[in-house]
Amino acid sequence: MKKIEFNNIAPAFYSVLSIVFALITGAVILIFIGKNPLLYFGQLFFQGMFSSLGLVESIIKMAPLLIISAGLLACFSAGLWNIGVEGQFLIGAVLAGWSAPTLASLLPYPIYLLSVAALGAMGGMFWILLPAVLKARYDMNEIITTMMMNWVAINLVTWLVKGPINDPTTVPAQTALIPMEHRLSMIPFTSIHIGLIVGIICLFIMHYVIRRTTLGYEFRVLLSNKCAAFHSGMNVARITIWGLLISGGFAGLAGVSDVLAIKGLFQGDWNPAYGMTAIPLVFLARFNAWAVVPLAFFFSFLSVGGEFVARDQGVPIFFVHILEGLTLLFFAASEYIEKRRAF
Amino acid sequence: MLLLIVRLTDMNVPPLIKTTGITKSFPGVLANDHIDFDLFPGEVHTLLGENGAGKTTLMNILYGLYQPDEGHIEVCGHETRIRSPYDSLKLGIGMVHQHFALIPNLSVLENLVLGFEGGFILNMKDAEKKLKRISEEYGQAIDPHELIQNLSVGERQRTEIIKTLFRGSEALILDEPTSVLTPIEAEELFQTIATLKNAGKGVVLITHKLNEALAISDRISILSLGQKIAELDGDELRSMGEKEATEKILHIMFGGKPIPECSLVEKTISDEVILQLEDVEVMNSREVVGLNKVSFEILGGEIFGIAGVDGNGQKSLCEAIGGQRELVSGRIRFRGEDISQKSVSYRHEKGISYITDDRMNEGCVLDLSLSENAILRGYRQQPYSQFKIINNSIVDGYAKRLIHDFDVKATGPDVRAGTLSGGNIQKFILARGLSTEPGLIVCSKPTYGLDARTVSYIQELLLEESKQGKSVLLITSDMDELINCSDRIGVLFNGKIMAILDKCDATPERIGKLMLGIEE
Repeated sequence: MKKIEFNNIAPAFYSVLSIVFALITGAVILIFIGKNPLLYFGQLFFQGMFSSLGLVESIIKMAPLLIISAGLLACFSAGLWNIGVEGQFLIGAVLAGWSAPTLASLLPYPIYLLSVAALGAMGGMFWILLPAVLKARYDMNEIITTMMMNWVAINLVTWLVKGPINDPTTVPAQTALIPMEHRLSMIPFTSIHIGLIVGIICLFIMHYVIRRTTLGYEFRVLLSNKCAAFHSGMNVARITIWGLLISGGFAGLAGVSDVLAIKGLFQGDWNPAYGMTAIPLVFLARFNAWAVVPLAFFFSFLSVGGEFVARDQGVPIFFVHILEGLTLLFFAASEYIEKRRAF
Repeated sequence: MLLLIVRLTDMNVPPLIKTTGITKSFPGVLANDHIDFDLFPGEVHTLLGENGAGKTTLMNILYGLYQPDEGHIEVCGHETRIRSPYDSLKLGIGMVHQHFALIPNLSVLENLVLGFEGGFILNMKDAEKKLKRISEEYGQAIDPHELIQNLSVGERQRTEIIKTLFRGSEALILDEPTSVLTPIEAEELFQTIATLKNAGKGVVLITHKLNEALAISDRISILSLGQKIAELDGDELRSMGEKEATEKILHIMFGGKPIPECSLVEKTISDEVILQLEDVEVMNSREVVGLNKVSFEILGGEIFGIAGVDGNGQKSLCEAIGGQRELVSGRIRFRGEDISQKSVSYRHEKGISYITDDRMNEGCVLDLSLSENAILRGYRQQPYSQFKIINNSIVDGYAKRLIHDFDVKATGPDVRAGTLSGGNIQKFILARGLSTEPGLIVCSKPTYGLDARTVSYIQELLLEESKQGKSVLLITSDMDELINCSDRIGVLFNGKIMAILDKCDATPERIGKLMLGIEE
């Protein structure tokens, strides 16, 4: 009986274990560079989790991670590896930054929000359309094509805000500022914008779609056995395109949420690179929406706390990226151990 | 020729392999339950048993793929642990799987040295000398420089056997070796086994064909539900006469449970043409002509058998009808409707059920549960899904019914398909294919690798379906099944139908010749 119980919690156990090992290794590294790990982690946890400012900041930062993860759940569970989340995010964000000031003055608030969101999501979908078609039609490796599209997106948005959609009234390369009353509203009684709720809803809708609908079923069959999918008459090309478009769409939506809620405009070379956090996160969560939420909090707490600590203790902010990387490394190792245990 | 048969078993030599109390369990199944098994030099020890009896598990333990939970393995008198196939090879155990592990675009010689190159620089000269010596010693002629892809199935199997000898194996495990062979090739294989035996090698033969087991075994062990329930002496059985010996074995294997006889009840074949192929041409997966202007018709209630050596266009034919393969030219009509350009799912909905022989890759998704596998084709249809939402409780019920009706050995609908034995997966896939009330059943090797009871159950079932007016296209490499079940038989050779024979004209000899492309 005990054995079965362990098998049920094993995935969570291994994920937590890899986080713990990453923190321990991080501590060793800190000792090597002459910092006190107790002081560093103490402050990291205190600032990121237990101060009200840190906590709110960490929660706010979860929103884009949750929305992106919702999309990644779809494509990863179909065995499609969209590595170009960043690019799709930027396209969604720049479309929001460009359209919001105009649309805000033309449309009533809810319709304006919905149309900017739809535009951003379609932008993200459009950005992954080419890799999706190439994958579906010629089986071209989507890992490479989506990653390449990242660079195109990064340079394209920089050019756009410098030229065609620049706000000429300001000096820096950016779009026109969205007035406060047209920003995303807050969750009542908090200073957390509703992007968080959108993220959680998106996440659980995708969780349901993958487990209960025919499309999700097609995704799961495609992941495990493409040959059987084709043989049983599934339209593999159509499923491939849908899987990738959904992930691109959510990435675009995350861009909209950040621009409308936090930035208020799209700025020159702004690139928060959420993709590099969301992709490992979804893996750590083993494609399970329930696990995505706490892990998203952990990762955003790391980056928020890391920022605070960097100022005080002179440990570069990039150190939290090292922690993230180590977590993944240990996660890969734990998967290996788990596979060995299965035999 | 003087054949000196020495029964080394009677002498005082240690067994090549000896297992005591081997136990192995998988989630929900006890695959091996304290099995004692041994193999002496110079003997053929056959393993018989129902599907899921534990034969493959036991052999995989000897081959180092699984570790036993309990029990000991002795090789040549020394207790040992076999941690990997590499260990097993080093200990002198060679295995020839049902699916050959050869690389098609390398030569015979290159395949032999693969994995045992012995250093950075390949010494092909020495390898060739060694191969020549082995060929002469065991009478196994083969061209060392021929590419595997140009060899027939029988020659490929011979290459596999030579490969194990090349690596110095003393004990050979052959897993259902005749299932892929023509009758003539099977005869050659038996001669090879006799030669190996005389040379002092030990051979473990896994088979479902009782007549083969009776013909060449020194000992026969019977497994059931993971336990060894009997060990019989080959000579003793042969002295009983074939019929009595067969009955004895079946009695041990299945207890008192009767085996349904393949009955020959009169049935009526209607005049309605269910399936019609007109000059159908397709390319196979290597972009070579797979079917060459194939035309035939199947009537309502008819079982149309297809004979042929594997790889002569059977797959192309199935997939052309199932819709997985595009036609280059020609036309396929189902109940008069031209379906040449229709999709797989359209054809499935119209009532064509194609049951593939590639169970593990095409037939099911090993990582998903049986419930999820049950709706692999029907997931878009009611009642399994409505408004694109899958109804889990109906699907579970459906899977449970399939498991129950076909006596699939599985603990429930939520177990992963991959945990089932090969035979049980096949039963499940058949259950699924027949449950949709199809008008045409296309089944490729439906009984391949199944035990005697399941084989006759399935054959009976196909006959039953045809009596109810359904048509069957039966592709099989089992000559008995072909002749017993089919109303008419088409023989495929090189993508062409050589001849279509009526049941009464079909003899194994005639079919065998046509299978090898010998025109009448």
